This record gives sequence, C-alpha cells and structure tokens, in this order.
Amino acid sequence: MKLFRYDRIQVMGNTEIRYLSELSLEERKATFARILAFDIPCFIITSGNKCDPALIELATEKNVQVFQTPFETTKATYFIVDYLDDIFSPQTTIHGAFVDVYGIGLLFTGRSGIGKSEIALDLVERGHRLVADDVVIVVRKGEGILMGSGTKLIQHSMEIRGLGMLDVRSMFGVRSIRFQKRVEVIVHLEDWHSNEDYTRVGLEEEDTRDIMGVEIPFVRLPIFPGKNVTVISETIALNYLLKHYGFDASKAMASRLEEAIKRNESLEDTDRAIGWFEHDFE
Amino acid sequence: MIKKEVTVKNRAGLHTRPAAALVKNAARFKSNFFITKNNMRINGKSIIGVMTLAAAQGTVLTLEFDGEDEEEAARAIVQLFEDGFGEE
Repeated sequence: MKLFRYDRIQVMGNTEIRYLSELSLEERKATFARILAFDIPCFIITSGNKCDPALIELATEKNVQVFQTPFETTKATYFIVDYLDDIFSPQTTIHGAFVDVYGIGLLFTGRSGIGKSEIALDLVERGHRLVADDVVIVVRKGEGILMGSGTKLIQHSMEIRGLGMLDVRSMFGVRSIRFQKRVEVIVHLEDWHSNEDYTRVGLEEEDTRDIMGVEIPFVRLPIFPGKNVTVISETIALNYLLKHYGFDASKAMASRLEEAIKRNESLEDTDRAIGWFEHDFE
Repeated sequence: MIKKEVTVKNRAGLHTRPAAALVKNAARFKSNFFITKNNMRINGKSIIGVMTLAAAQGTVLTLEFDGEDEEEAARAIVQLFEDGFGEE
C-alpha cells in the first residue's frame, strides 16, 4: 500500500476487471473502500468493460469520477497521455506575428509598431497562412518542439494601424489561416543601425534564442524603407528548407572560393560563368 | 583619396572568413572603399566582390579610400591585412 500511487489516474483494464469479478460483493466493496480512502483523481474503465455499481456508489460518495471507454487499455492510455501532455505542457505567451511560410513556422518579433502585422498581412496576401497575430501562445511539446497558436478569443483577427480590426479568415478565406504550427525560425525585426554588425556570409554559427529550453534559430532582420521584408521572409523560409535538405549556400560558396585560391587563379583568367557559347549574342 | 598597397599574408588567402571580416570592418566607415587586383576593381564593402578576388597568399592588392573618414578607414583596413586577419 505504501507504493500505491494514489495521485495517478486509476486505469482498470481486463485483468483488474477479471480479478474483481472473482470477488464477492462484500469483498469488492471492501476493496473499493480501501482504494477510495486515498484521494484518487478518477477511474477509467477500458475495453468496454461494465462498471461495477458498487464502485459507482462508493465513488459518488467520495466525489470521484468514473469513466468508461470502448478502447483497449493500450490505446486508451495513449490517448490520455497525449491529452494530458498537451494540457500540462509548459506554455508561454509571445508578442509577435506567427505565419506559416512555405510550411516553415516564422515567428516575427520586434518592437511595437515596427510592422509585424503588416508583414503578416503581406505574406497572407501572397498565399501564406496566418497562425496568430499579436498574442502567440507557445507550448512546448516533448523535447525540442514548440507549437504556436492563437487564442480562442482573438482567433485570426489582426489590428492594422489606421484600419482597425480585420478578420483574416473572412477576408482572405480559409486557406489563409491555420490553427497551429511548429515554431521553426524567429525573425526579429529591428530598426537599421549602420554601426550594427549584421550577418554577411552566413557561415557564422547559427544564432539561436531559448524559448522554454528549446533553442530556435534566430534571424536579426534590419528594416528600412524600400526593403521588401516579405520577400526576404519567404527567402528565409526557403533557405531553411534548403539547409534542411542538406544544401547550405554559404558553405558551397566558401568551398568554391577556397578551391579558386588554391589554384591561385589570376584575375585575367577569372572565368565568366558562360563557358563558351559560339555566336550566342542573346 | 588615399591609395595603399597591401599583401595578403595569411596562408589560406582571402577566403570566406577574412572576406567577411574585411567587409564588416569597411562597412563601419563612410568612405568609399575599392580594392584592385591586377585589372579587376571591386567595391570593398561587397562580400561577393571581395570573394571574387580569390586572393591567395602573397597577392598584392591596391586599396583606395575616398571620403571624410578615409584616414581612419585606411588605418583600420591596412591593419587587418598586417595582422593576416588574425590567421597564420
């Protein structure tokens, strides 16, 4: 009895039910009373087994719920664990805009008024899908996976300064939204400062930010008038995909350069990338 | 305008990392900055340009600085070459 984990959900499967069926009513009542002396969260009876009326009677007295499921124990446990894992996952709220771009979850952050919503709107207009704007709920699933979603109240509404509240789902249709997405890259928008150090080649160790113990790739994106942040965001997503499939543009360029230095090509014979096209005047 | 001649000292030459260090440093200055190797003249603030030089160890480059902070820029950039970009 010392080892009895009374703080856990009590799952009763075929074995338990068969054991109980061999006891007399008095013995069953005594058994239930012994279990219910503890503070049990609830009982779940699996595999479509019938619930003992004696258990219901005693459990009702103690205000403990008894559930029944047609699923067998393994399956039922799987569903319950999955559900509880979601409910009890660590969760945080992030101020930003969250968009699925080519299947990559881009989380836009940056100071208020820098234009996160405008970029999200622009991406939606180009066929990408809004997950949430302004308030993004991020949940940690298992180890190393963050899922982002909006809130029930806000859903896919967004505020555009000068226009007010917009509803993206009714305006752009159901294909312009989704309810949740894995957070894959943080795109941090900031005002351009000429003395700041921005990534030039992309060979440096990838910058990351920690969200609830999960390291997420972090891209600092300086913005200024005339810069098309939407197209750059699409490019960030595509580059992430390329790297995921094993091609790194900066590494490829770096190794071509190293080869050229080794061959010690003089400038006179720096190859134009045309090969030799005879009479090609296009 | 200031003109300086420098030699690439580090063994690996002006590969990706030194090229990135060079443009990042150059970007701190307002002055225009050009690099000439033989007959190719490229903008020293462009990473692609600097990489195109594919300058190996021993290559002589001509640096041009033009602008209000050309003196400081020249000093900083020449120093980088002198230090071999912190490489052997």
